[in-house]
Amino acid sequence: MSSLYERLGGEGAVNAAVELFYRKVLADGRIAHFFDNVDMESQIAKQKAFLTMAFGGPNNYTGADMRNAHKRLVDKGLNDSHVDAVIENLNYTLRDLGVPDTEVKEVAALANSVRDDVLNR
Amino acid sequence: MTLVRHEGGAVDVAPGETVLEALLRAGVNAPHSCRAGNCQSCLHRAIDGAPPPQSQSGLTDAQKAMGYFLPCICRPTTPLTISRPDDLGASLEAIVRAIDPLSEDIIRLRIEADGFAYRPGQFVELSVGEDLKRHYSLASHPEEDSLLEMHIRLHQDGRMSRHLAEILKTGDSVRVAGPSGSCFYEGVAKDQPMLLIGAGTGLAPLYGVLRDALSKGHRGPIRLYHGARSGNGLYLSEELQALSNSRDNLAYRPCAFDPTAPHGGDVAATALEAEQSVSDAAIFLCGGENLVKRLKRELFMRGASLKNIRSDAFSPAR
Repeated sequence: MSSLYERLGGEGAVNAAVELFYRKVLADGRIAHFFDNVDMESQIAKQKAFLTMAFGGPNNYTGADMRNAHKRLVDKGLNDSHVDAVIENLNYTLRDLGVPDTEVKEVAALANSVRDDVLNR
Repeated sequence: MTLVRHEGGAVDVAPGETVLEALLRAGVNAPHSCRAGNCQSCLHRAIDGAPPPQSQSGLTDAQKAMGYFLPCICRPTTPLTISRPDDLGASLEAIVRAIDPLSEDIIRLRIEADGFAYRPGQFVELSVGEDLKRHYSLASHPEEDSLLEMHIRLHQDGRMSRHLAEILKTGDSVRVAGPSGSCFYEGVAKDQPMLLIGAGTGLAPLYGVLRDALSKGHRGPIRLYHGARSGNGLYLSEELQALSNSRDNLAYRPCAFDPTAPHGGDVAATALEAEQSVSDAAIFLCGGENLVKRLKRELFMRGASLKNIRSDAFSPAR
């Protein structure tokens, strides 16, 4: 059985998904304001790193990285509902790209696995 | 294997080791995060030597052309001299050759800087004194003009503005460092539509990019929008109108604030209304931070890919 990352199509799949995913996030009134003052180029690189992790691809993230990256946002009110919204947008992105349900669920589970680190708890 | 850092010290990269690992091992406080070539936190620039192509994965064509690379996935096989991404490097002496008005409050400064290599549309740091430095975009073309040309708005209480208007004269010596910035033609396909939107002296880099595109035989349609606070601020409009009349593929759309004009003459609103299909276009945005940010987001939401959007946002002097 090949890995989730390979089944999804590897780096090509991340590249195909990343801008679509970012557009959905920016269009989502529940979470768009967290991105108001970020540099879009550096943000999309971070989105790509996040998708690579969620797709089960090569990454070296540690819980501490996730905590540090989101601490400022938690102070601004980032909570479970926002993580839910991000995962929902990720699900829609993958469905738009024709990814089968089984893989969509696996990706959502991986994204969900960093929830406590992201929310600093 | 030796890696020479721009700040001075040399760092050895062991076989199989990445540049990031070598920097960290040597005690350099190098920013980083994913260590997998994705997040770009560790971005650096090679100012001498060629980084391996794999270490430029995911970067834009403009960044690759300028030698940017990702230290966390860079295993160099030849020596590199590297600098932090925003480091402009050493400055060069230049001589003021001309200062003339382009409009009520915009001047054209032309300086002679022998051996200064740049791409049209990039910016430089101009120093006229010990602590008086500003970034300005280049409107000139290295193969067509012998001088570097900058368009500078004079602010009533600006220190640099007063210096330029009252003190600096032809023959004076200044210093110039850089170039930097990724607003240039490289990476654009000859048949690709080009969309250039700028306000105020944001026209300077666009003018450089436009002339570069035309001189390189660009065939796709080029649409240039220039915004100004009043008709008087639409400098170079006669030249641009004449140029667009003589070229089938160039459209020039000047927009000055005017309550009776469509969208009040706002260049962003005017361009966004006219440009509904942007997903294939090579886009260049230059002007104030708010304008650039607004256009970048809007055009991205409409389907433009971020790697096709080159921008230069002017920030006020601190």
